[in-house]
Amino acid sequence: MSYFQSFIRQFRARLFVVILLNNVLILGDWYIVDQVVKLTGWWSFIAIFTVPLLTLGLIPWLSTSMLTQPTKFLWQAIMHLAPGTASEVGAPKPEELHLGRELVTNLINQLYQLTSVMHGMEQANVKAAQDLHANFIAGSLPLPLIVLDKDDMIVFTNEASAKYFNKPVNELVGQNVYTAVDMSFVSEDTLNGWLKSVKSTSVTADHSWERVRTALPGQEGGLQFDMAAHYNKDNPQGYEAILVLFDHTTMYSQDDQSLSFIALSVHELRTPLTLLRGYIEVFNEEIGPDLNEEMQRFMRQMDASAQQLAAFVDNILNVAKIEDNQLTLQLHEATWSDVIDTVINDMRLRAGVRGITIKTEIAADLPTAGADRYSIYEVLANLIDNAIKYSKDGDEITVSTTQNKDGVIETSVVDHGVGIDESILPHIFDKFYRNHRNRSQIGGTGLGLYLAKAIIEAHGGNIWVNSKVGKGSTFSFTVLPYSQIKGTDKAGDAPEMARSAHGWIKNHSFYRD
Amino acid sequence: MEPTAHTGDGKRVLCIEDEHFISELYTRALTKAGYTVDVQLNGREGLKAAQTDTYDIILLDIMIPSITGIEVLNTLRDTTKTPKLHAKIVITTNLEQREEVRAKIESQADGYIVKAEITPRELVDFLSHIEA
Repeated sequence: MSYFQSFIRQFRARLFVVILLNNVLILGDWYIVDQVVKLTGWWSFIAIFTVPLLTLGLIPWLSTSMLTQPTKFLWQAIMHLAPGTASEVGAPKPEELHLGRELVTNLINQLYQLTSVMHGMEQANVKAAQDLHANFIAGSLPLPLIVLDKDDMIVFTNEASAKYFNKPVNELVGQNVYTAVDMSFVSEDTLNGWLKSVKSTSVTADHSWERVRTALPGQEGGLQFDMAAHYNKDNPQGYEAILVLFDHTTMYSQDDQSLSFIALSVHELRTPLTLLRGYIEVFNEEIGPDLNEEMQRFMRQMDASAQQLAAFVDNILNVAKIEDNQLTLQLHEATWSDVIDTVINDMRLRAGVRGITIKTEIAADLPTAGADRYSIYEVLANLIDNAIKYSKDGDEITVSTTQNKDGVIETSVVDHGVGIDESILPHIFDKFYRNHRNRSQIGGTGLGLYLAKAIIEAHGGNIWVNSKVGKGSTFSFTVLPYSQIKGTDKAGDAPEMARSAHGWIKNHSFYRD
Repeated sequence: MEPTAHTGDGKRVLCIEDEHFISELYTRALTKAGYTVDVQLNGREGLKAAQTDTYDIILLDIMIPSITGIEVLNTLRDTTKTPKLHAKIVITTNLEQREEVRAKIESQADGYIVKAEITPRELVDFLSHIEA
């Protein structure tokens, strides 16, 4: 207020001076005309009135320019701050002002403050609007969303997630994520493990998991989902990890059911098989030596058939697992010649019965291979077994291994047997495909080569065949040197499981981890 | 086939198995090899026997009446419920498990056998390896 009063005082003083000057001028004018020049008549009338007429123009001019100058500066200031015109009007310079400088300076300062306050409000509005958008998006996101802070506490979650876990949002927020949601993972690759490792190594990271469960298989009412995560170290909002869940409960539990049907059937088949094999063994031990040669042969055949049936049951299960994407191998470093020798030693006896010899040609300086020993054993045993089956008595089978020009380990099983018809070759690795001509004479499940292909491909290798009818067949496959898979997710870090020297402890499947 | 060596030396085996003919075959082969065998037909009785008596080996089926073999295994491995067990536990089952379940069972047991894949004599051989 004081600025305004001083402005009025200044203004009054100046107006007073101007009017005083005007009066002095008029009086002076009258005195000069009347007393000094002593004009009379029309001349005196004109001379006396000229000066008041001139000052009549001067006073409004002076007073308005005095009055409007502060207004002009204020206008300049407002225009300078107004959006869009700032560049057209320069900043006012109130120091050039004579009248009301303090008032105008003060007003301009107020203006500047006001606009800066308004600018701040505008930004706050924008942020509020953005928050509103983010909340809206998170709220209407049809996928459960969970945000964790650096201590794995839930700091935010959306409606979809509350609905999914059937808990109100406020019961989830503030809880440790592992307490709030009981998650089980298919492998060692867990959320906890991943978060621990990225916290120490990464600034940002992304990861995803398949088939996360909230209840173990067999337990009722669990959820099954895939999950994606984003990690952002020291996020300013405290949002260190963001999890998005994709529900697959229905789909995955259907898989569970179809597999569990097969598993149940397998269980029912295995029980009588266990008994059959047990009784055959007892008979063999107790009366075997007393039987005549024909009966002994029948007994052996019975034993072989029971074993074949057991193997077939296992194969059915393995095929089901492959088709359920459960084929997981643990590739370890293996001396390839040892792997081959183990199989050939086991197969030699069977070959010998028919006078067939197995020759090996193993290249020196082979690199160690990345192999799941048990499943590779099955593959090689299957190929050699086929070679024996389709060879003539007294033939020779060759198993050779080299490191080929691509640097991978290539192994071939060569026989000189009946060979395979050209029309069959393209289907040889198909499920249940067999040459019907041979079906009655030569046993087999029709699954061996299909499984072999799946196993070799899971090793990162290839399998193929060359054959000519009457000349024989060559089955070849590749596996990768261990150096190529080391450090990749194919390499298993779990310690190798124990296997007895006899090689008969089959407490494994192809797919165990 | 050559006769099985007498590896049992009077060691005591508890066979928890509801399939009578299987336990009969196992008992026969194990007794021949020098083991002493007790059979229990269901989970509850089997667990009671395992907790009250002293055995060297427990053969444990999974699909058994009253309480499952997995529950028996969990109880036997839970030190708050069972004092540290002297016996080695070998799972003998024909049931196919999901990978993660099987891995959990295997980590708690001393051996895991699919019954259809071995004969009684091979079981005896396996047990001599487990003990060694």
